[in-house]
Amino acid sequence: MNTPLAGKAPTVLLAAVALFLVVVMPSLNAAGVVSDFTLNTWGKYVCYAILAIAVDLLWGYTGLLSLGQALFFSLGGYMMGMHLMLMIGKLGAYKSDLPDFMVFLGLKELPDFWQPFYSFPFAALMVLTVPAVLAVIFGYLAFRSRIKGVYFSILTQALTYGAALMFFRNDLMMGGNNGFTDFRTVLGADLRSPEIKRALYLASAISLTAVFLFCKWLTTSRFGLIQRAIRDSENRVLFSGYSAANFKLFVFVISAVIAGIGGALYVPQVGIINPSEMMTEKSLEAVVWVAVGGRGTLIGPILGAIGVNYLKSWATTEYPDLWLIILGATFVIVVLFLPKGLVGVPAQIKAIIDRRKALRKDRADDLAEITPSPEAE
Amino acid sequence: MMPRAPRNPVGFGRWILAFLLCLALLLPAVMAQEAARKSAREIIGEAAITLDADQQKALVGTLADADPEEVVQWLKKWKEGEIYLFQNADGVDVAVTLEGDPDAEDKFALSALATGKAVTGPDGAVMRATKDELYLADTDSGLRKVMKGVTDRIALASTDYKKRLQAVQDTGLEQDPAKLVLLEQRLAVEQDTQIRNALAEAIAMTKLRAEDAVVRQAAVLELGDMGSIAAQGAIKTVRAEAEKAGQVSLVAACDKAQRDIESHISRVNTVGTLFRGLSLGSVLLVVAIGLAITFGLMGVINMAHGELIVVGAYTTYLIQNLFAAGIKMSPFGLKIDIPGMNLSGGAWDCYFLVALPASFLAAAGVGLLLERGVIRFLYKRPLESLLATWGVSMVIQQLFRLVFGANNVQVESPAFLSGNWTVNDIVFGWNRVFVIAFAVLIIFLTWAVLNKTSLGLLIRAVMQNRGMAACMGVRTERVNMMTFAFGSGLAGLAGAFLSQIGNVGPNLGQNYIVDSFMTVVVGGVGNIMGTVISALGIGMADQSLQQILGNPVLGKILVLGAIILFLQWKPSGLFATRSRSLD
Repeated sequence: MNTPLAGKAPTVLLAAVALFLVVVMPSLNAAGVVSDFTLNTWGKYVCYAILAIAVDLLWGYTGLLSLGQALFFSLGGYMMGMHLMLMIGKLGAYKSDLPDFMVFLGLKELPDFWQPFYSFPFAALMVLTVPAVLAVIFGYLAFRSRIKGVYFSILTQALTYGAALMFFRNDLMMGGNNGFTDFRTVLGADLRSPEIKRALYLASAISLTAVFLFCKWLTTSRFGLIQRAIRDSENRVLFSGYSAANFKLFVFVISAVIAGIGGALYVPQVGIINPSEMMTEKSLEAVVWVAVGGRGTLIGPILGAIGVNYLKSWATTEYPDLWLIILGATFVIVVLFLPKGLVGVPAQIKAIIDRRKALRKDRADDLAEITPSPEAE
Repeated sequence: MMPRAPRNPVGFGRWILAFLLCLALLLPAVMAQEAARKSAREIIGEAAITLDADQQKALVGTLADADPEEVVQWLKKWKEGEIYLFQNADGVDVAVTLEGDPDAEDKFALSALATGKAVTGPDGAVMRATKDELYLADTDSGLRKVMKGVTDRIALASTDYKKRLQAVQDTGLEQDPAKLVLLEQRLAVEQDTQIRNALAEAIAMTKLRAEDAVVRQAAVLELGDMGSIAAQGAIKTVRAEAEKAGQVSLVAACDKAQRDIESHISRVNTVGTLFRGLSLGSVLLVVAIGLAITFGLMGVINMAHGELIVVGAYTTYLIQNLFAAGIKMSPFGLKIDIPGMNLSGGAWDCYFLVALPASFLAAAGVGLLLERGVIRFLYKRPLESLLATWGVSMVIQQLFRLVFGANNVQVESPAFLSGNWTVNDIVFGWNRVFVIAFAVLIIFLTWAVLNKTSLGLLIRAVMQNRGMAACMGVRTERVNMMTFAFGSGLAGLAGAFLSQIGNVGPNLGQNYIVDSFMTVVVGGVGNIMGTVISALGIGMADQSLQQILGNPVLGKILVLGAIILFLQWKPSGLFATRSRSLD
């Protein structure tokens, strides 16, 4: 089952994309050809691409459509955001050591669970740990009771919805409605300087490459084989003596961690994180990227995330009223007519041409049979 | 106008003095007689220029017999300082009101209070003056008390049921012993049981201020028996005083009354919570029943279900406008102008009865298009139908925004759905009662369609075994179409209903989509009865948790958590459809 969905993108193309993202873009920016704003936007796209890979690992490779990946993405973002909030220090509007929203809520001292976030390594660890722990708990419950297919989707949607409701509350001490914003420094450097922006972009692009290579290795290993077997027929996997639940749980956790990394890189570049980032719509949007790019491939989600968001940036300025219609219609068309996404288009065209050829050949053969050759007589 | 004593000629000395004294004593009574024939404006006009405080109070006191509405209106103006005194050319004070807007010199046209006619000068022109040139007819606290007495008396006798009830309750809360007589008089003539109860409560509350400790104790116990929520604070005060004064039995009575009232409150809350839970459950049920058909029976994940609800809600909005002022919109540069019927009252209320079938048909139509255009290609790929319908839902949402605007639109409830019914302090809103009845009706209709019609038979046959049904000559494509349209129509009905209990906006559907999917999953896919039970269960759990935790959002989060745990125990919902197939 390697070929139909996971069509092999030529290595040259992959290398070209990686080279473009990691080397060309930042060099052009340093040379002044690409503006800081554009680079920052691309940094955002790259983080989205990481999220898209996380979605694809679950959906394209394991057949689990999770509508909760935006939750893990935001959780990673929130963990990084907590550290960045504390780094604002006395520069905030209230000139207090506490983050502004806490002063606003009338807090006198930092809640205990915020204390360790003064340390960057701890925050970085939490970026990985918190999404993973949530994924373990939820995944264990869901896969143990063999919830699958659309039920899994609906449950993850409910999980996301519940979590968003929770983060909207002020007494969670996570900024409530407004979330975290107004970040100043990271690791002692000014977040607003072009150098740091470039460094953040570079970190995102390198992370994306690393995530890509990791997933490439994972999906081509024996593990990946079982993963795809689960997607295609879970019962046969079960009957062959594999514990499908454990495999699914493992993929779910890996995917959550990848999404978390994406979120953690996203927040310092965008400068804001709030509960609307974890709504179901965001998860579904990530699913759109994967569907458009081509699920079951690793290059597809990257192309999809960058392409759709590029389109979004353009359409929301040119046709703000029509953007949602364009996005929705794209989605319907892709689902109906391009099940393998953009990556699958060449194969689809080839299939059509082949069918035409076969048809023509058949017809020619038929004609040959019907018209008896005069020599035969 | 006022009888004035003539100048005091020296000779009559003492006689005249005696006469004057008599006159002064008689004066109020005489004036009252005179006043009864006068209108409220005249009396107030007169009272306003009277300098003597006692005479003024007496005059105001006579107002209780005048036209109630006029009295309330003008006394209010007096209290709020809208009545001025103006000295006319003859040097006589006249009470006036200011008419219209000030002119360039800040002068107002004057109108005499007593007659309501413009004040004219010697030349016949309307007199004008600035506020500074006039004296404000002010009121002191003594006079205001008398005014309050008059308005209270008027309110207690009001012919309007609601106003009378409100007046009785307000008077009870004032606890003014002077008003006891007033309340008792009213009780003697009052016919309505509910107001009689309120009067009894008000009287008991007023008696809490009685001098006699025995009367107070009796009143306290009476209030306890009534379970009077309003009296809680007053009883607390009585208890504190009694404790200070060392009246042991009164303190005990207060404690007992407080316990009684508290148990009454908890009873009211419990019943109220159950009622709200039932109505929320019914809302969920109405919203989820369409989904139970499209998702439960057909297995189609229709993420645009919420938008079908909105289609129904906006249809109701349009029908409402059609019955009123008409529809004026200009979406996409098209000018739509449909004249309305400009109905009001009972005829306008009927719009809802038209809106119900209209919203069913509109949503069913959209559902039909959706099925033909998108879903029929995806019956074998449920995950993809989820994604495609989500795309459709975004498109529809945005279309709504473009056509109706991003803001909520106002749908007014017909008179028979607004208002409420209070029994024993428990409030039953008509619209909530209605949703329960509506849910019962829809369930019955759905059940009847599925079990008693030939369409229902075909639907069940196709859902159970598509291949076999097709072999028997059932046109499965057509059945799919009809089933989906039916489920969508039910969503439209839900929308018509939701428009009565909340705002109608492009995002309305999104608020319900998660809840309704949860309801169907918990109920057990493919089982209408399961949906009913799970909707009521989730509604009850939600409302009870809200009551216990005192926080709606936390309650909702707990319910979502509970659902996830529940599915551990019963992964395929309350009523699982048994099947031998593995997937």
